[in-house]
Amino acid sequence: MQLQNNDGDSENCPTSAELSALLQTLGKDRSREIFRELFEFFAPRLKTYFLKGGATSELSEELIQETFVIVWRKAEMFDSRKASASTWIYTIARNLRIDRFRKERRYLYKDDQFFANEMVEEETQLDDHHQTQLSERVKKVLPLLPAEQSTIIKLAFYEDASHSKIAQQLELPLGTVKSRMRLALARLRKLLEGVDL
Amino acid sequence: MINHHLSDEILWAYATGSLPAGHALLVSCHLELCSDCKSRLGEAEALAGAMLQSTEQQKPSDDMFDLLMARVEQEAPVPAAAFLNEPKPEKGVPTALWDVLGHGYDAIKWKMVGPGIRQFILPIKPSEGECARLLKLSPGFVTPEHSHHGSEMTLVLQGSFSDETGRYKIGDVQEADEHVHHQPVADTEEDCICLAVTDAPLDFKGFLPKLLQPLFRI
Ligand SMILES: [Zn+2]
Repeated sequence: MQLQNNDGDSENCPTSAELSALLQTLGKDRSREIFRELFEFFAPRLKTYFLKGGATSELSEELIQETFVIVWRKAEMFDSRKASASTWIYTIARNLRIDRFRKERRYLYKDDQFFANEMVEEETQLDDHHQTQLSERVKKVLPLLPAEQSTIIKLAFYEDASHSKIAQQLELPLGTVKSRMRLALARLRKLLEGVDL
Repeated sequence: MINHHLSDEILWAYATGSLPAGHALLVSCHLELCSDCKSRLGEAEALAGAMLQSTEQQKPSDDMFDLLMARVEQEAPVPAAAFLNEPKPEKGVPTALWDVLGHGYDAIKWKMVGPGIRQFILPIKPSEGECARLLKLSPGFVTPEHSHHGSEMTLVLQGSFSDETGRYKIGDVQEADEHVHHQPVADTEEDCICLAVTDAPLDFKGFLPKLLQPLFRI
């Protein structure tokens, strides 16, 4: 596997490709040391994610534990051609958050369903290099979005805020929220095409 | 061949888990039918994954990893085969909808809501302000012109309909907001069955105030 260079500003941080390689190795040998490395990278980030979603500090830590229990259990199913490690772990954490706070939606976001569905479309698989590069690119371009656009994207990501809730919170018409989100995502896509690593 | 797809903002809401329940059901159904949107969802999830990767850090408790290890070391390994999907439902019914109905379209207990139009309210727990229903339009029937207070999403499951904005066939999605006035017509010899989800304006009085407090701190 080809590893990429670090960003420079995050010297001690593993790159996306390194994280994916770690997760793949965990699936093969269940090494405690590798599990710890993944934990040390993701647990502090997951804590922010769960806290901003409205969980208490205690509940956040419980959800982090549950996320990693699933990572441990399912690591051998991780396939870096389908998703990067951060995307894979993100979907597990997201599903647990829905399970805890949004029970009416839980049947739609079963982990089992996610992993099984991912196996269906063989032809849409991309190589792992593409998946990990995408992560690095997104990290680079996110700060380039205008604040009013990134705020709306982040409200959905962190706070689990629906379009209507965002509209209410920012005192904007629903249509404006949707069109701003659409513009932000279109702009991100454009930036992603243009960025060099 | 699907011509009308999910918008980026709907896919982003789905990828972040923030889409209301009925809407999420509709999106799940479309994703089963549309490989284009499925790969776009993959992109949205990759974006979310990258956001997680670059988010700020907050230190967890010192003993957390040891507690976690103690927990996983007790676990028996789970064979990969245990995660595979159950058998597929009746042809033409998306799995996500089958999970709700438990049967095909023939066994639905429709209720007449007007000449040529029947509905079945889905037995799911919708998010606040939401209603998820199946609609059955008789061929040639013209729905009374209407507009929406909130938004409406419609997915065609059988047959097709047309309105001022175009023609919608199996798998096509229509997203209509409060500015759309339309008069859908089932335009083949077959009944047109749709999954329709409406989202009325929400009353926020006392609604999750705690959850909303941190909104401006990101
Ligand atoms: Zn589509």
